[in-house]
Amino acid sequence: MIIRGRELTADFEDSADAVVVGTGAGGGMALRELSRAGLKVIALEEGGYHVPTDFTQREEKMIPMLFQDRGARTTADFAIRVLMGRGVGGSTIHNTNLCKRTPGEILDQWARRFAVVGCSERDLAPVFEEVERDLSVSEIPEPQQNANNQVLARGVKALGFRGGPLRHNRVGCRESGFCELGCAYDAKQNVTKVLLPAAMAANEQTVVMSDVRATRIIHRQGAVAGVAGTAMNAAGKPIANITLKAKIVVLAASAVGSAALALASDLPDPYGRLGRGLRLHPGAAVAGFFDQRIDGVYGIPQSYECTELLDFAEQSDRRAWITTAFAHPIGAAASLPGFGAAHMALLRRYAHMAVLTAMVHDETEGHVTLEDGDPKLHYGIGEGDRDQLIGGLRACARILFAAGAREVVLASIPALRLTKPAEVDRITADVVGPHKIPLLSVHPMGTLCLGEDPKTSVVKSTGEHHAIRGLFVLDGSLFPTSIGVPPQISIYAFSRHLAKHAVERARG
Amino acid sequence: MDRRTESAGARLGNAIPRRKWLGSVLIGGTLAALGGAVALLRTAGYDAPPSGATPLQVLSSVQYTVVRAVARRMVAADRAEGVPSPDAVGVAEFVDGYLVAMRPPLRRDVFRLLAYIEQLAPLASGYRQRFTELAPDAQDEVLLALEASRFEQLRAGFQAMKSLVMMGYYRDARTFSILGYGGPFVLDRAGTTP
Repeated sequence: MIIRGRELTADFEDSADAVVVGTGAGGGMALRELSRAGLKVIALEEGGYHVPTDFTQREEKMIPMLFQDRGARTTADFAIRVLMGRGVGGSTIHNTNLCKRTPGEILDQWARRFAVVGCSERDLAPVFEEVERDLSVSEIPEPQQNANNQVLARGVKALGFRGGPLRHNRVGCRESGFCELGCAYDAKQNVTKVLLPAAMAANEQTVVMSDVRATRIIHRQGAVAGVAGTAMNAAGKPIANITLKAKIVVLAASAVGSAALALASDLPDPYGRLGRGLRLHPGAAVAGFFDQRIDGVYGIPQSYECTELLDFAEQSDRRAWITTAFAHPIGAAASLPGFGAAHMALLRRYAHMAVLTAMVHDETEGHVTLEDGDPKLHYGIGEGDRDQLIGGLRACARILFAAGAREVVLASIPALRLTKPAEVDRITADVVGPHKIPLLSVHPMGTLCLGEDPKTSVVKSTGEHHAIRGLFVLDGSLFPTSIGVPPQISIYAFSRHLAKHAVERARG
Repeated sequence: MDRRTESAGARLGNAIPRRKWLGSVLIGGTLAALGGAVALLRTAGYDAPPSGATPLQVLSSVQYTVVRAVARRMVAADRAEGVPSPDAVGVAEFVDGYLVAMRPPLRRDVFRLLAYIEQLAPLASGYRQRFTELAPDAQDEVLLALEASRFEQLRAGFQAMKSLVMMGYYRDARTFSILGYGGPFVLDRAGTTP
């Protein structure tokens, strides 16, 4: 059952075996697993509940509807725009469906450095297989890769770089290219299409409440007791108090939202780990202009990758992942450099533009704090990560030239315009860095990290809090380091893998 | 053109710690109050909001006028034909509506930025007049200075303003031809374009 919090006319109280806070990849999977186990589960979601017919492919309507802070969330110093989902389904509603497993090298590091147990590549392999089967994950064949991705593939092959097609969770895709604004055709095999119906079918008591902001985890004497929250109307104004009693609480409100709720709940934190370890995968974009039309806005986005500069060894000096990053008109207009007549003249070449992005598998550690009840993201990109970004952007420029670009443009201030490959070394620290070029993050992770040592982690390897019995974290907050790949399928898999411990705890 | 030998921003920056000065612009603090006081003294002479249009929801008439002036420069046309004006598209009205559901702290930041653009940014570029009184070339100069400011948060403020204006302008189907963009692609369930 879906309850729209915005339609409540009185305070709401209930009891359940488990309350899940957040309905993205982690929360959606937890909801299904707990429901399948026969538990009564109530899931809370801060955003609204939307159906495919709501997704109008209009940026000015979808961005405020589907993203936190109406798309305006940034780090505290405004240097990095952080796009995060809001609404039933979380980021699975508007991501590009990328599915790359957590690299084995990363899982090995977690075992070695953070004493994470039971989460090796071998432990997780069957979990990934099951999740990928459930979500119909498959490789995007070459004919379905859009023209922007074909540019990337052509450039990668011309340079002899390492690259290949990506795997997505989509079925019945119409190749419209509007994945990031919600799929109007319901082709995403995501939380709302796959997991929510499965949860509801498994247990008729399962409830999802949209438009409810969890404000506090209730806990007493070292055990969780429930969740308090507030239902909000369409304008975001509080209209009703929500009180839910439960034996189990699952935090799955993202690396930012889960950390913020934990911080607001006075959880024991003897080693100051709450909110620490934020990773963002910061990235930036490079545009290439071609003689022929590209029309990169249409077709399946992000269907090819370049991994020439990416490996997962500890302290690697190859930590840049490259893929495509075409933007819809408003995003492109906001991202291309400058303003006024020159800016408009550049936009006239929109249909002839291909865009690549370099995303850093970051070592920088940020943290989340609370200010007036709202999360604040503190993250100052380190020099090592900045250098990785520079290397990645240079590679993007080389790839674009190798694919036939006449001009390559970086949205630095002032704009950097390159006309031949020999000029890519002009991409230096003078033009790349916070406030010098637009930086974007779509993969926040960390903040409530996994591990057996309470001095370096918040939750055990089971996902349960070190000190609060029955409080579980089952989202990207768990990751003790950057994972270097898009985190969607890893979040699904970790939630699937660890939910059994929550079930056991609920059964007492 | 009346110019000062030392920018107001630099003098203010020397007088108090830099972080505090930056904070005053976008986050709050002592000079935010000063900025507000300046604004109180300099609010005469603004156009009235458009008559007959939807009443403003969160912007004051002063703020509305500043947004409109900024938009006119940010999406200034590169050629005369086929380019609707930001006024015709209703960019300032869109920004007003967009801010309604914004969290109050973020909305407050936008208001402070508008006050800065109108009152202090021209001084920092050597102009005595407020932004909305400047000639277009001078307004461009002020915006360029903001875009490339040595203060990181002012550059971020410029980018935020640019994002709002671009959203307000390029949302309109009349602008799609500028980009060679075919528009949304929503198909009905049978697979045809409605």
